[in-house]
Amino acid sequence: MSSSGNPSSSGGGGPCGACKFLRRKCVAGCIFAPYFDSEQGAAHFAAVHKVFGASNVSKLLQHVPEHKRPDAVVSICFEAQARLRDPIYGCVSHIVSLQQQVVSLQTELSYLQAHLATLELPQPQPPQVPVSSSGSLQALSITDLPSISPSVYDLSSIFEPVMSSTWAMQQQPRPSDHLFGVPSSSNIGGGGELQALAREFIHGGQMPAQPSPGTSGSASTVIKRE
Amino acid sequence: MNPKRCAACKYLRRRCPKDCIFSPYFPPNDPQKFAWIHRIYGAGNVSKMLQQLPDQTRAEAAESLCFEAKCRVDDPVYGCVGIIHFLQTQIQQTQNQLAKTQAEIAVAQTKLSQTHNSDFM
Repeated sequence: MSSSGNPSSSGGGGPCGACKFLRRKCVAGCIFAPYFDSEQGAAHFAAVHKVFGASNVSKLLQHVPEHKRPDAVVSICFEAQARLRDPIYGCVSHIVSLQQQVVSLQTELSYLQAHLATLELPQPQPPQVPVSSSGSLQALSITDLPSISPSVYDLSSIFEPVMSSTWAMQQQPRPSDHLFGVPSSSNIGGGGELQALAREFIHGGQMPAQPSPGTSGSASTVIKRE
Repeated sequence: MNPKRCAACKYLRRRCPKDCIFSPYFPPNDPQKFAWIHRIYGAGNVSKMLQQLPDQTRAEAAESLCFEAKCRVDDPVYGCVGIIHFLQTQIQQTQNQLAKTQAEIAVAQTKLSQTHNSDFM
């Protein structure tokens, strides 16, 4: 992907990666040109084209403000490559894996907090493992996860109020260097990790272990949709 | 031909054949799912993707595609990658809290053992 805002349209010397892939003339003002250079951009665009289609991505980008388009392109490339690597679950399997980690950590935290409370109380009480992992972070609870059900997904109601305050992007990032723009004033503290994650993924890194078919379709059982 | 069109064929305003690739996964009572899919991926791309998968995995694939499409509709910039980032942040925060709580437990246990030792003296 292009790491700069210089358009690589035909006016600047050669088609952009997208137009190269599509074997069409790269016009001035090509929407893909700033984000898909003529070298590696074509390979990235190939994945995007296969999963989303050029016209769908073009429409998506047109509806995104220009300063957010680099981020949008990177996330679209990420999803496209995740889908090609795992045609069944795409990046949902990664979400499920992370969600399980969160639940496990919250359970452990609740247990330790209860244990700490018993140590600090004057009368000794046996530490009790809480039934539900409420913890101090309430975004996810193990009781929200259905046991076994046909694929259902719902994370939006859990994450919406948090996400709206999280994505305070203040500057236009360069896709290769600042994946999701982590300026010092950003509210996103872990942007560097996502940057590393996406860079690793886009350049052929490994995704976490996928759920095996025999694990009762864990991706479908863990994420609940309303 | 299916007497009742699936959500996909209804959306696309076409006849729903008996072997419609979409009909098992897009029932007519939930038109929104296919609307998201069509808007983000396009019917043709989804059809190709499903056709390349074994039958028994298509339901899961359709659901995960719906999920990702819905995320992208809700957040056109980050899609479900935003959720990944959020979860990673949450993991980091929880790990920090765990470390802090473990340290507090260690301090509390030290204080307790010191108190017990002074009681015995």
